[in-house]
This record gives sequence, structure tokens and C-alpha cells, in this order.
Amino acid sequence: MSAGYIDELHEAFHSDLVYRPEEIPLECSPRPKEMEQTLHGVMKLNGLVIRSLEEIAGRGANAVTYRAGKKFGHEVAKYFQKREDVEGALHELSDLLRGQYSFEVWKPEDKETFIIEENGETFIYLVFHDCIVRQTLRRNGLDQGGPLCQTLFGYVVGAIEEITGRKAKLEIVHTGPNACLKKLVLK
Amino acid sequence: MDIRVDKDACVGCGLCVKDCPMHVYELQEKVSVPVRPNNCMGCLSCHEICPAQALEHRGIYAAKRHYIDIKVCEMLRKVV
Ligand code: SF4
Ligand code: SF4
Repeated sequence: MSAGYIDELHEAFHSDLVYRPEEIPLECSPRPKEMEQTLHGVMKLNGLVIRSLEEIAGRGANAVTYRAGKKFGHEVAKYFQKREDVEGALHELSDLLRGQYSFEVWKPEDKETFIIEENGETFIYLVFHDCIVRQTLRRNGLDQGGPLCQTLFGYVVGAIEEITGRKAKLEIVHTGPNACLKKLVLK
Repeated sequence: MDIRVDKDACVGCGLCVKDCPMHVYELQEKVSVPVRPNNCMGCLSCHEICPAQALEHRGIYAAKRHYIDIKVCEMLRKVV
């Protein structure tokens, strides 16, 4: 390694910045715009982890990621207000997911209400618009609906169960490049 | 939802009809027609599958696309 190269490296990591301790940081550094490379790195890494998990654990991968997501959902929602009404719970959930996922309650034209009863099942359609999982999968050329999607599924189910105290299930109806349709089945 | 089909571009393959989970389209005289536009939830699977790029959605929410690698796109733009 040449001395010139070492000096160049030192130069890159040196600044005249005066850094003081701060108790409550009000902005992140670097600025989000400068984090593009980091974001791509994280997406790439997540994609590779999921691909390897699938290769090793096969279909068992879904069970692992679903369980991990569900635990996370329960854990995070523990600190949220408990409520029995599903509408309120979904409201809490959208606050919980803000920034990473965004969703809306949706219904087909022929349905009168958002809470649908069909074939002995009570469910609500949710359209997920923004989704970091979808972005990660597309970044890596992976199919939607696999193990990484299961983490989100588990997360939503865990959070809904924690908030409402009722058992829930989430099913994929359709995955698309811009939005995904899911069915939240209430038990 | 306002969905428009470019009738001149549409090749009548019917892929959008088959792919749309909400049965928004129907083939009429070998052209796709959005017969149930209010059933669209904006997934854009139809855009991805249409070989003629004949579809247009207006008033749709475009999801965040941080996965696009701008550097790669810039390089591709130079050669394509
Ligand atoms: S965006 Fe999705 S729901 Fe809407 S017409 Fe296209 S395939 Fe159907
Ligand atoms: S997929 Fe495109 S080309 Fe094929 S029928 Fe639909 S609009 Fe026409």
C-alpha cells in the first residue's frame, strides 16, 4: 500500500467539524438524499439473506419470516392504545407503519361496506401502496409474495392482534408493481 | 379511476384482461376496453404486462420507487 493512498484515505475521513454531544438529535446525518447508496446496500443485503434462506429452508422459510414478523408486530404494538374496533386498530396500524408502508382500506364497486361478509368469513380489503418489501424485492429481481412478504404479513397480523385482542389472518389477493391487495380476515 | 387505452397501440392480445385481478378490462372487437374502471386498485400489473404500452391510468397514487438505481439508468440511457 503506497503512502499516497494512505494519506488519501486519512484525508477522506478527516474534517474540521466540531462535534458536541447532543441528547436529542433533530436531524439525521447524512441527509436522506445522500443515503441512496446505503439504501441500495440494505436492499441488496436483505434480498440476499432472503434468497439464501429460501435455498436452505425451502418452504419452511415462509414460516420463519412470518413468525419473526408476527413477534415484531406484537412487540411494537404493545405500546399502542388497545381498542376493540377494527377501524380504530387500522388507524393505529397505519401510524405504526408510517414511512415504511402505507395502505388504505378498499372495497370493490359491488360491495356496500368495507367490512365484508362472504362464505362465513368476515374480512377487510387492504391496498398496500408504499412498501419497503416490494422495493427490496424489485431491487433484487425476486418474486413478490415470498418469505420477505411474509414478514410484513406477520407484522400486520401481530399488530392487529395486539391492538384488538382478536385473532386475525392476512391473505395475499394480488401483488403488483405499484400496489398489492390483501385480505385481512377477522376471527 | 380514469383508465385510457390507446386503441391504435393495443394489439388485442388480452393479457391485461387475464392479468387484472379486478376484471377491469374486456376485449371488444380486438381492443381492450376498461369496463369496470372503479374496480381498479392501482396495482399497475396491467402496465407491466402490456406489450404495447397502450395503457394509461390517471389519478393514481404512484408508490415510492427507491429501488431504481439511478446510476445504472443513467448508463443505460447513454447506450439505449
Ligand atoms: S392497475 Fe391493477 S387493478 Fe387496475 S386495471 Fe390494472 S391490473 Fe387491474
Ligand atoms: S395487454 Fe395491452 S395490447 Fe394486450 S389487450 Fe391489453 S391493452 Fe391491448
